Amino acid sequence: MANTSTTDVDLVGSEMTLNVARVALFAALMGAFAYVSFPNPLVPSVPVTLQVLGVFLAAIFLGPVWGGAAMVVYLLAGALGVPVFSSGSAGLGSFFGATGGYLVSYPFAAFLVGAVIHGGFEPDAPKSVSVGRLIVGMALAVPVVYAFGIPVYWYYLDVTWTTAIVNAGLLFLPAEAVKIAAAVGIVHSDRLNTA
Amino acid sequence: MLSYEPGDSLAHRLDPRSKLAVQIGFVAVAFAYTTPRGLAVLTAVTVGMLAVAATPPWTALAELKYVLPLLAAAPAVEALTLGSPWVVVADAVAPALAAYRILLVLAVSAAYVRTTPVRESRAVVQRHVPGRTGQFLGMSVAFVFRFLPVLQADLARIRDAQRARLGTERPVHERIASVLLSALDGAFDRSERFADALQARCFAWNPTLPALRFTWLDGPALVVAGGFLLAAVVTVV
Repeated sequence: MANTSTTDVDLVGSEMTLNVARVALFAALMGAFAYVSFPNPLVPSVPVTLQVLGVFLAAIFLGPVWGGAAMVVYLLAGALGVPVFSSGSAGLGSFFGATGGYLVSYPFAAFLVGAVIHGGFEPDAPKSVSVGRLIVGMALAVPVVYAFGIPVYWYYLDVTWTTAIVNAGLLFLPAEAVKIAAAVGIVHSDRLNTA
Repeated sequence: MLSYEPGDSLAHRLDPRSKLAVQIGFVAVAFAYTTPRGLAVLTAVTVGMLAVAATPPWTALAELKYVLPLLAAAPAVEALTLGSPWVVVADAVAPALAAYRILLVLAVSAAYVRTTPVRESRAVVQRHVPGRTGQFLGMSVAFVFRFLPVLQADLARIRDAQRARLGTERPVHERIASVLLSALDGAFDRSERFADALQARCFAWNPTLPALRFTWLDGPALVVAGGFLLAAVVTVV
């Protein structure tokens, strides 16, 4: 191992440092959300986890680029063994499980939500975005998440399309509306001091 | 919660890269041989791998209990038919085999997680993903690992406070919003303090990492990984 002298140290700039810290904190927050479930108001037997809400919030607060990066970091951390996937699971195998498709969709969904809401790559202050735009952005991401989630469930579990659409789609769809409502409530709340 | 357990089993002493190769090979072979006989052989292989990782099979199963309902739902729903005879067991065979295959893949990846410290996995990323992208991904993964328990504790505290004040009586979207508002505020505060702390400690693009080295032990592991891939390719072609 080579010795490091001070002249070799390549410091990270201050703006980049804050972005790295925010990306890591958001990815960790996604991991913490995976442990929190609320009862689904329409189908009480299927609990709602907050992960998709984490995708929305990362896109709203960090923008498309850093929000998408936070999701990539979340997936990589889970693949390498940090227990951040639903109910504290981890490992490369999760990508080949029933919910592998949802996981892979998160970076794409975060990028899309961020790009629509902020109208470009640079994030604006979340409070300056209209409610309509927030809802459209998040609603557009829902088909993206299911476009990955349902075919992967269909393929990995070798079921018919009907079963895949019921088990991996319809049971969870009503909860997405609750998450979008919650995200709008958060962004336009007077209690939010940050960003 | 599935996480690294210190130990000195054979799997603990392997290079993380050979363990990743074995996992990828195992996934390929499990997808190529999703038959009753193939899965019976792979079950024996999985039990063997868990033994090498000093992870009892029941421990691995306990880690996976949360995915069981979702896996069991596939054959259960598939067997149902609208109209007589209502339940067709034959329809459930393929999804049941597929669900069992996923269980084996998850058990093998649980063995990796239990025997590989996150800093070793980080070293793999930073060594093999070029430039600043690799550095960024590697350090972010390390930070996620460190902050996860802190943020979980934050969330648990917020939910306790909400329950104590009868917050559970409010509509679901309001409850979610109020828990997350506090969690977000906390996370942003932490990220700013954390960024200051990193800069105060010369946060750099080129930190010194643990050395990765293949030993003679990795030879057999890489042979196993290669064998899996070969077996998978032979069936598919």
